[in-house]
Amino acid sequence: MDGVSKYFDAGETVANYRLDLEVADGEFLVILGPSGCGKTTALRLIAGLETPSEGDIYFDDECVNRRSPSDRNVAMVFQNYALYPHMSVRENIAYPLKIRGIPPDERDRRIEEVTELLHIEGQVDKHPGELSGGQRQRVALARAIVREPSVFLLDEPLSNLDAKLRQEMRSELKRLQDELDITTIYVTHNQEEAMSMADNVVVMYRGTIQQIAPPEELYARPRTAWVARFIGSPPMNLFRGTRRNGAVDLGDAGTVTLDGVVGSDLEADTAAGDVSLGVRPEDLFISTDPPTDGNAIEGTVDTVEPLGEYALVNVSVNDQLVTVKVSDAGVERDDRVYLTFGDDDAYLYDENGELLTRTASAKTT
Amino acid sequence: MSLRDHIDGLEGGHDSTGDPAFDREKAIALAVFLVPGMTLFGIFSVGPIVYSAVGSFFSWDAFTMQSFVGLDNWFRTFRDPLIVHWENIRQYRFPMGALTQNLLWVVLHVPISTLLGLGMALLFADLRGRRILRSMVFLGFTVPTIVIGLVLLFVYDPQAGVFNELLRVVGQGQLVRNWTQSPQVAIYALVAGGIWVQTGFNMLLYSSALSAIDPSLIESAKVDGAGPYRRFRDIIWPLVKPVTAVVVIMGIIWVMRVFDIVYAAGGTAGGPNHSYSVLGIEVYRAAFEPPIDYGKAMVVALVQLLIVAPLAAYIARMN
Repeated sequence: MDGVSKYFDAGETVANYRLDLEVADGEFLVILGPSGCGKTTALRLIAGLETPSEGDIYFDDECVNRRSPSDRNVAMVFQNYALYPHMSVRENIAYPLKIRGIPPDERDRRIEEVTELLHIEGQVDKHPGELSGGQRQRVALARAIVREPSVFLLDEPLSNLDAKLRQEMRSELKRLQDELDITTIYVTHNQEEAMSMADNVVVMYRGTIQQIAPPEELYARPRTAWVARFIGSPPMNLFRGTRRNGAVDLGDAGTVTLDGVVGSDLEADTAAGDVSLGVRPEDLFISTDPPTDGNAIEGTVDTVEPLGEYALVNVSVNDQLVTVKVSDAGVERDDRVYLTFGDDDAYLYDENGELLTRTASAKTT
Repeated sequence: MSLRDHIDGLEGGHDSTGDPAFDREKAIALAVFLVPGMTLFGIFSVGPIVYSAVGSFFSWDAFTMQSFVGLDNWFRTFRDPLIVHWENIRQYRFPMGALTQNLLWVVLHVPISTLLGLGMALLFADLRGRRILRSMVFLGFTVPTIVIGLVLLFVYDPQAGVFNELLRVVGQGQLVRNWTQSPQVAIYALVAGGIWVQTGFNMLLYSSALSAIDPSLIESAKVDGAGPYRRFRDIIWPLVKPVTAVVVIMGIIWVMRVFDIVYAAGGTAGGPNHSYSVLGIEVYRAAFEPPIDYGKAMVVALVQLLIVAPLAAYIARMN
C-alpha cells in the first residue's frame, strides 16, 4: 500500500462521542485513557464488532460501516487472548487461514514463518491451557499476524502479563510492528506502554478525544489540564489560583508573575479568572531560602519519599499537595521551602481545563 | 483440657501406635460420619438391588420366595410378548413389547429433545426477553410428570383438545382422532409430551454452557472471518460437547425410567392392548396387579438398571 490514508470517524455511542481520528498506513497508533473512557469501544467500532450509531468509518476511501469484521480484513488481539481452548496452538493459528480457504501447504508455510518470528516453534502442538501467559500472548499475536491483515487491532494485550514479561513483549511488539509495517491500533490504559511504542497517541477521556499527538509532544505540550495530569509519573502539579493583573495569585503561597509564562500578546494583562498553573514535578526546584528573583511558591514539606534513583518531596501549598522530583531531598518534614521553576516549564490552564498558551522564550523577571 | 493439650495428646497416642501412616482417630471419625449415609444407602439402594438380583433367580408365590429356578424368570420374561413382541416388531406394528417401545422412546425422545434444547438455548442466547422465554420453556420440567400426562390427555382429546382443534384449523380435519388411544400413533403423541418436558431441562443445561463461553472467543472467530455456521461448528459446538454428553445420558436415564406420563395416559395396561407400555409399567403391573409375577417384575427392573447404571456411572465419573 502506498501512502493511502485511512479515515476513521466513529459516531456517537454511549461510550464514544464524535471521534475524529485519522490513521496513516503503517502507523502505530495508541489509544490511551483510563478505564471506561471508551477506548475499547472505539477499537471495537474499527473492528466491526460494533456498528456506529452515527458517523462513518472509512478504510482507505471506502465506508465500511456495514461491513462485517471479516470483510474489513482486520485482525484483533483480545485482552484475554481469546484463544480457542479446544484447538492446539497450530489449529488456533491456522483457523483464520482455514476460514479463508487457504490451501494446507500454504497454511503450514505461513504458520512456520509466524511461529518462528514469535519464537513459539516448540509449542505448536500444545493446547492453550498448557501455555504460560507470555506464550499465549504470542500465540494470539501469531494468529493475528498470520493473516497479513490490513489493520492490526490490539486491546490491552499486555495487561494480563507480569511486569517483566510486559517489558519484554513491549519491545517485541514494537519490533514486530517495525518489521511488518502493518497499521496498528493499540488500546491501553498504561501510559508507559503508550509513550514507549506509539508513533501517535490518542488520549481519551469520557468518550471524547482529548489530544492526538506524538508521545514527546503529549508530554511537552499537554493540551488540557486533564491530559497534563494523566501523562507523566508522578503527574503534573496544578496550582489553583486566580489570575489578576498579569499574575497568578496563589493566596498565601505567593504570586506568580506571568510575564514569561503567558504570551501577553494573546491575552490582556488584565484578563482575570480562576486558572491552574501546571508544573511537572521534575521541573520544580526546591530551596529553603527565598530566591532573589523569579517566581517562587511557598510551602511546607509534608513527606519525603526516597526512591533511590530520585526522591519525591510532597510539599503542602495552600492545603494542596504538590510533588517535587529531586535527585537529593536535603529537606525534612515541616521545613519551610520555596519552589521555583523555569517559565518555559509552566503551563496555564483556564477554568475549563484548556491550555491557554505557553511562552516561546525563557524570560525571567 | 485446652485444645493444645488435646492435640498434643492425640499426637502422643498416634506416635505410640508406631505406624505414622495410620491415624486411628481420623479413621474412627471418618467411620462415624459415614455411618448415617451408608446406612440409608444400604437400606434403600444396595439392599433392594441385591434383593431383586437374588430374587430374580427364584420362583415366587405372590410376595413369598419359593425355590431356586435358575434363569427361568429371565427366559420367561424375554419370551413374553409384553416385553419383546418379535412378530409385531418385524411388521412394525404396535404393540411391540415394553422393552422395544421403551427403546423407541430413547431413539426418538433423546435426539429430538437434545437438538431442541440446544436450538432454544442458542435462540435465547441473545434475545430480548430471553429470561421470560427461558422460564416458560423450563416450566415444563418443573411440572410433575403425572400432571404432564394428564395435560397430554386434554391436549389430545378428540373434542376439546387443542391439538385436534389445531388440525381442524389448518384444514387437516381428517386426521382428528383420540391420539392417546390410537394404538399405532399414541406412542408418538406421548413421546412429544416427553420431549416437551425434557427440552426445558436440556435448554437450561445448554444455556449455562453457552453463557460459560467467553464472548471474546465468538468475537475473535468473527474477526477471523467465521460466519454463523462456522462459528457454531468450530467454536460453540466443541465447547458445549461435554454438556451434550450429560444431556444425552440424562435423557436416556429419564426415558428408561419413564412411567408417569404413560400411566396417566394409558393406565397400568400402558394403553389399549399395551400399545405404548414401557418397562416401568410392566414392573408395576407384574408386581402389584394380579396375577402377581414378582420374579418377572424383578427381572424387568434389573433390565432397566443394567441399561441405566453404566450411563449413570459414566456421568458420575465425568470431570
